[in-house]
Parts: sequence; C-alpha cells; structure tokens
Amino acid sequence: MGRLRRSRTHHAQRDVHRASRTRARTRDLDQIQLIDLDPKNRAALEAQALDFEKPGLAQHYCVECAKYYETDVALRSHWRSKVHKRRCKELKEPAYTIEEAERAAGLGREGKRPLSSEVPMSTTV
Amino acid sequence: MRIEKCYFCSTNVYPGHGSAFVRNDAKVFRFCTSKCHKNFKMKRNPRKVRWTKAFRKAAGKEMTIDSTIDFEKRRNVPIRYDRELVQTTVKAIKRIGEIKQRREHAFWKQRMAAAREKHRAHRIKKLAAKTAAIKLVEPIAVESAEPEKILEKIKVSAKGRSALIQGEGRSMGMDID
Repeated sequence: MGRLRRSRTHHAQRDVHRASRTRARTRDLDQIQLIDLDPKNRAALEAQALDFEKPGLAQHYCVECAKYYETDVALRSHWRSKVHKRRCKELKEPAYTIEEAERAAGLGREGKRPLSSEVPMSTTV
Repeated sequence: MRIEKCYFCSTNVYPGHGSAFVRNDAKVFRFCTSKCHKNFKMKRNPRKVRWTKAFRKAAGKEMTIDSTIDFEKRRNVPIRYDRELVQTTVKAIKRIGEIKQRREHAFWKQRMAAAREKHRAHRIKKLAAKTAAIKLVEPIAVESAEPEKILEKIKVSAKGRSALIQGEGRSMGMDID
C-alpha cells in the first residue's frame, strides 16, 4: 500500500485511451450497487467457474471494484489498499443515474394513468 | 419527436444531435456533446463536476422547488391533435418562460446578496490576519539642520504682444525698428 502516483502517469497514453473506450467499459457504480452487491449475486461472483480467459482463471474477484486478481494474496492486499477503500466509500452513497440527470434538467415523470381532469383531450375522441 | 436530456450535463439533446451509448443492460445514455461523452468515459460523477446541472442543483445554486419547473414532464399518453389546445399551450410556454426567468433572476439576486456578505466577512478576516502578521520597522528619522531652499518661480513678462496683429508679437514677420 504505497503512495499512489498522480503525476507522470500518462506515459502510456495508448493504454489510458484504450481503457476508456466504451467497448472496454467496466461495470458502473450503479450496476455494482444494485446487482453485484446483492448477497446472492455476490456469492455467485465470488465462486465463479474456471474461466481461461479471465485473469487468475476468475478465481479471485473483487466485487466492489469489479476486478479479477491473479492470486489470493493479491486480492487480499488489494482489500487493504487505498483504491479499494476509496471505492467502498463511493459505493456508500447512491450512484448517479439517468433519472437523476432528467430530474436535474427539470424533466418530471407522470404516472401511466393521468387524472381525467388533467388531460381532458385524451378522453375525447 | 422527443427532446432527450444529456446524461452528464442535463441539457437538451435534439434529434440528430449528440450521441448515445447503450450499455449491455439496455440502458441508454445520451450525450449532448463529445465533451460529455468523454467525461462519462472517464467515469466521472456529474454530481462532482461543477459545470453540470446536477452539481448546480445539488449545491443550491439553482431553483429546485418551483411551480414553473413542474410543467415539463414525460407524458407517455398520446393526445389527439387539437388546434386550440396547441395554441394555448404555445402561449402558456412563452408566459411560463417569462415567469421562470424572473424568478430565477430573483433567486440569483438573493443568493448573491448572501454571498456578498460572506465574501466581505472573509475579506475583513483575511486582511486582519495579514496586518497582524506583518510588523513594519519604522524608518529612522534624520533631522536636517538646514531648512530647505524655497525656489521662487521665475516670472517673465509677456508684454502684451498680440499674435493677431501682423508684425507684432509671435508672427513670422521680422521686427522693424
């Protein structure tokens, strides 16, 4: 758990750009919060079948960070790391969603069945 | 036609503009510009980016509770076209826009008044701290024995020469005896 480097990190710009492509998109916070952290799903994710494509045969998975590790030691040291702790802190508050974006824009939602007095034109044919 | 909202900055996205990202769970994220898309790809939280609507609303920089905001809604009920209804709606949109603008201005003024007070207090505090920290050494006063000479202004009489009369004064002509 050393210091996390902040400067001179973009030496390999290519990798940074490749990681940010939508096709390589990792799981979002709202997905983790609502799906992955559910105890049932969590158990399934932590006990995955052997997968030769994934790092460490998909045996050492951190659910909060949505990341595979090579060994159990690596996973355990990751749990003690700043990155993991920061992620846990982020997951404590509700994630930003599309609905929130619309609410911020002032776009409300109306129930499926509006009151007849509100929209009289829909009833008249 | 549907005017969508940008996922990141919450502005309007008109048909034919911006881009959309469909996540593998079929959620559609719409973006007004590449700027917003890039920020999304960087996994930034719009609540923490100061230029987004989400930030401004959350930080109390804009009106959140107002009756003028409640008009815009996603109504998933088709309404039969009616000329009169459209006319009144268009009229109402304009009127509501005016009212909203006025209210927003009032809100802003109120906010700025409070901020000014805070700013002033901060400035006074900062100045006080600054003056307390710096102690200037007084310069040594040297008393001079001689009083300073007072030079009188040299006066030269103009002798009432007029430039208007030729041959007299500052004209180009020579003085004739």
